[in-house]
Amino acid sequence: MSTASIVTRSLTKSYSSLTALDSFNLEVDRGSIFGMLGPNGAGKTTLIRILTTLMRQSSGEASIEGFDTLLSGREIRRVIGVVSQENSLDRYLTARENLELHARLHGMERRFYKTRIDELLELMGLTGRQQDFPDTFSGGMQRRLVIARALVHKPQVLFLDEPTTGLDPQSRRTVWEYVRSLAGSMTIFLTTHYLEEAEHLCDRIAIMDHGRLITVGSIQELKDRLSGATIYEIEFSGDGATHYAALLGSMSCVMNISRMENKVTVTLECWECLSEIVTALNGAPVRRILLKERTLEDVFISLTGKKVRE
Amino acid sequence: MLKGSMAIWLRDMLILRRSIFSELFAVVAYPLTIYMAFGIGMQGYIGLVDGAPYSLFIAPGLITMTAVNAAYNESVWSLWFHRRVQFTIESYRVTPVSVSEIVIAKIFTGFTHGIIKGCAVGLVIFSITPFRFPIENLLQYFLFLIPGSALFSCAGIISGTIMDKPETIGKVEAVLVMPLIFMSGLFFPLSSYPQPFISWVRLLPTTALFEGARSALIAGEMLSVSALQVTLSAIITFIMAVYIFRYKMSE
Ligand SMILES: Nc1ncnc2c1ncn2[C@@H]1O[C@H](COP(=O)(O)OP(=O)(O)OP(=O)(O)O)[C@@H](O)[C@H]1O
Ligand SMILES: [Mg+2]
Repeated sequence: MSTASIVTRSLTKSYSSLTALDSFNLEVDRGSIFGMLGPNGAGKTTLIRILTTLMRQSSGEASIEGFDTLLSGREIRRVIGVVSQENSLDRYLTARENLELHARLHGMERRFYKTRIDELLELMGLTGRQQDFPDTFSGGMQRRLVIARALVHKPQVLFLDEPTTGLDPQSRRTVWEYVRSLAGSMTIFLTTHYLEEAEHLCDRIAIMDHGRLITVGSIQELKDRLSGATIYEIEFSGDGATHYAALLGSMSCVMNISRMENKVTVTLECWECLSEIVTALNGAPVRRILLKERTLEDVFISLTGKKVRE
Repeated sequence: MLKGSMAIWLRDMLILRRSIFSELFAVVAYPLTIYMAFGIGMQGYIGLVDGAPYSLFIAPGLITMTAVNAAYNESVWSLWFHRRVQFTIESYRVTPVSVSEIVIAKIFTGFTHGIIKGCAVGLVIFSITPFRFPIENLLQYFLFLIPGSALFSCAGIISGTIMDKPETIGKVEAVLVMPLIFMSGLFFPLSSYPQPFISWVRLLPTTALFEGARSALIAGEMLSVSALQVTLSAIITFIMAVYIFRYKMSE
């Protein structure tokens, strides 16, 4: 058997006039954590829906663990776990009953799923709340319960569609920890808007937009592709901004410069150039200098030369 | 093959069990009010209808109406809710359970609601009113109540599959379902219709259902053709419901 768990070939999906997925070619290694990054409307959910057999593609092929999505839906659904973008918990069932129903839908017998569910509730930190209804849970707890539900039948491939969107930073980190703890035991395919999330969790990352795959690689590879450019925002007090913007703009290590009132944003070739800048700013009314975090936007700009959305 | 259906149906029954008292209370109130108003309040003015006191005449129809209404309502709202609000149908669909198993489970749930609620109303009417019928007539009556509830459950599934907006569901119920039930001789004998109308009204499966149910329960007379008509309609609607649901899910 090949080492690829998920394979797509020229996978295309059109909704009447809109092409949501455009000749998508992808391979995801078995046992890896793979992150699909893309802005709103990129086609991430569409891709997951096709891979999880909820939707049929318009053309092309996709397979999970060697099973074709069009021909062997049931076989695929036996080996996958799915955490969808919308919360799909049953609010009329308790946390535990939600998991039990899912186990039964997978044809598991009570004596097998009982201990499995105990384990999962423990793992996700929900044991104390198992008799409560999901309505009474925080967003992070609900998310963890959905993840637990997707794991009841010990899937070989786990799909997570934006697992932490809408969660506060702390709940996000908790979810990350749980996902990380699964690493190696199964293939994990997740989608996200957050570069930080992908960076924290994934072995490999792909970036997509407008239904097209833009790039795939390990974190290191993508970072290398970003070149060494770093961006700083310098805020002046008073009206020194115009003068210093002109001065900095004439320096050779400054690749790009822009000014918004008293804030000047400079893109430097490499972080080593910073000392030159600091020297040039000697005596200037600088209020503060910020290193701008790398965002999905920056990766986009550097890879495609334009912003994510105009 | 139907293991998945069983799991989903058991889930629905668990929910029903949890709220059985409030459900029954709500479902019994409506037909009972009608029974009081028409069967008792109007009885003196109406007298005998087709040889039976009016309160007796309408009782089987009220029981049947409760059953089919409950079946329809449960199916239509539950399908809409699980599909559009809670996305539970989607969570079922990423398990090895087939789409047909899901829809069959939902049809059975609606059907069960119909039977249980119909029987509850029957019991209440039986215990607090002078309405009496020979107990052995029940068997024949069930030959109508069962396919009737199935028919309405399937119809509810179809509505809940096609309609995405709750207000549309409400309108269809007001414009189609309730008139269909009321026009089928629930409160008056078919002979009240103008002659040319009658043969048309008889084509409706609901007419066969209400006429047949009444004659089975009160007179102990089995209208086999009517029973067949209801059963056939139920089978056809069942096939349509499964087909339409599958089609919608494959979109
Ligand atoms: N059922 C549908 N009918 C028509 N168009 C659709 C449908 N579902 C999605 N689309 C369109 O397809 C494109 C891709 O949508 P998709 O939901 O896959 O994006 P996404 O990357 O998951 O976005 P988000 O980050 O907002 O979840 C969007 O332009 C969307 O409007
Ligand atoms: Mg999405």
